[in-house]
Amino acid sequence: MRPIKLMGHERSLTQVKYNREGDLLFSVAKDNAASIWYSSNGERLGTLEGHQGVIWSIDVDPETHLCATGGGDLAIKLWEVSTGKCVFTWDSPSPVRRVAFSPDGSKLLAIADQVMGHIGTISVYNINHEQPSDQSVEPSLVIETPEEGAKATVAGWSANGEFIIAGHDDGYVTKFDATNGELLDTLQAHGVYTEEKIVTVTDIQFAEDRSYFITSSKDKCSTLIDVDTFDILKVYKADAPMNTAAITPVKDFVILGGGQEARNVTTTAESQGKFEARFYHKIFEDEIGRVKGHFGPLNTVAVHPDGTGYSSGGEDGFIRVHQFDKSYFEFYVDAAERTDKSAEKI
Amino acid sequence: MSTSVIGSWADVGDEFSAPDITTNPDGTKTVITFRTNQDGKKVKITQKIREVKVQEFVHPLIAQRKNWKKYGKEINTPPGPDTSTTQLGEKVELKLGTQWKQAEKEEEEAKEQNRASKISIQTIRCRTCGGDHYTSKCPFKDTLGAAPSASAPAEAESAGDGNAPGKYVPRHMRMGPDGKIPSREDRDDSTTLKVSQLNSFVDEDMLRNELLARFGPLQRVTIVRNRETGESRGFAYVSFITEEMAQRALDALNGKGYHSLILHLEWSKKKTTAPPS
Repeated sequence: MRPIKLMGHERSLTQVKYNREGDLLFSVAKDNAASIWYSSNGERLGTLEGHQGVIWSIDVDPETHLCATGGGDLAIKLWEVSTGKCVFTWDSPSPVRRVAFSPDGSKLLAIADQVMGHIGTISVYNINHEQPSDQSVEPSLVIETPEEGAKATVAGWSANGEFIIAGHDDGYVTKFDATNGELLDTLQAHGVYTEEKIVTVTDIQFAEDRSYFITSSKDKCSTLIDVDTFDILKVYKADAPMNTAAITPVKDFVILGGGQEARNVTTTAESQGKFEARFYHKIFEDEIGRVKGHFGPLNTVAVHPDGTGYSSGGEDGFIRVHQFDKSYFEFYVDAAERTDKSAEKI
Repeated sequence: MSTSVIGSWADVGDEFSAPDITTNPDGTKTVITFRTNQDGKKVKITQKIREVKVQEFVHPLIAQRKNWKKYGKEINTPPGPDTSTTQLGEKVELKLGTQWKQAEKEEEEAKEQNRASKISIQTIRCRTCGGDHYTSKCPFKDTLGAAPSASAPAEAESAGDGNAPGKYVPRHMRMGPDGKIPSREDRDDSTTLKVSQLNSFVDEDMLRNELLARFGPLQRVTIVRNRETGESRGFAYVSFITEEMAQRALDALNGKGYHSLILHLEWSKKKTTAPPS
């Protein structure tokens, strides 16, 4: 496959995201403008100008009407996608690490980081779609970091916006009731399969039907967790800290991205940096392939909603948009051969 | 190329005019562009382009979004991807399979081999004609060799004996490229094996082409001989390109028979008196 290289950002990428139809790709980086691209040809629709510093997260509502960004400049901004105008700005008490629309687009969650004397919070805002410039300033719900727990780093919505799932700095994943913020379940997903000291959950992405999700962590693992039972279904082990993970529709694969810490990159050769996108089989947990291209760790990966391709954003400041080849769709793991092999091992 | 004074250095790259586009009668377009290639040479690129309209059925929302006006930094750019932000990357392979690690390893090894064979070509260089063979085996020895090479007198002086320019200076007393007489201790012997218990009739060519040929290209093969009679003393020094290759040869041949004798291979140690080359 021949990726399209998007070089609109001047600094390392923090998140890339497709809209529901997959025709637009939203990207944010540590420079102060978000970009929106046509995913089919890499043409840039425009940039969203207004943030003062790093933008950590971006999300778009299901209708591709409004998109939200959260940045290190203590602002959550709401934009009209068709015109690129900022229609509303909320002030945040501390840097915003993650924003996410609920599946129906009626609510927006934002994680405020636990720094500057602020206790980490997840705030939920109601979104007024009729009058985008007229939003309520106060959040409808604020979930504070549980006293004995660590701050939330990432979060997302389960099916129908019923639960808010959050990943935490200490490797735990928690489930909150999205209506009243009640803590329903908690689970240590990271720091159990490896003996890493840093176990921060770096990404949460949901499957197509939002009944299960994948987490990635600095502990070099990635886990697949069911929303209802809140059990770990699968564990994917890698050999470097993982920054992002995504589930592919159509094929039973997951894509993991990461690589050696950005600050250590200059001390080793590119070939040892492990800067590839890794493909794992979702069911068998086997690594089945890698895609090279970035020359820095991958910070974010997003899969096209139709499962026809994926995009990755790296510490190197580039986005690479991939379209899967025919061979990708024709690949199946030979289960019989695989059972023979594991039998031999025993 | 224009010789006029450059107004702004930022414009230096734009010395070539805009692409020359002509429309041919058969509906194709010919685009002629000029650019400088890697060797600094100006090249003319002629591209013949046929524009084909491909109709695609998409979600009406997608079609509607395709017609949105650009904004932000892209507000004044024409439709179509801008080459300053969007480029086609190099082809990448995604070979799916549970055995992908093995396939990758094999590929890496092939690359290593390729590199090693290139090195071996470079290491041998004739001082008479510059070809990739030993000076003593140069086919132009008689025609070119008669003229004293430019570096020979300098080498002679460096040896502390400047009375005759054509005087023979032994190899180990000649100056290296860095202006010093290389000492034996400086030489990198990390890839060198000592092969002992050789039959006395075994010569360099037999080692190179028979015994060690399958362990990859060799940098240097030297059989240690009696100075007076020229008879082999039964051991040799063999330099490989990489340490792995040497290790492979050592593992495979140590203790094996060769011409009625049992071979003994070991790493050539730094302290070992190196043979005269």
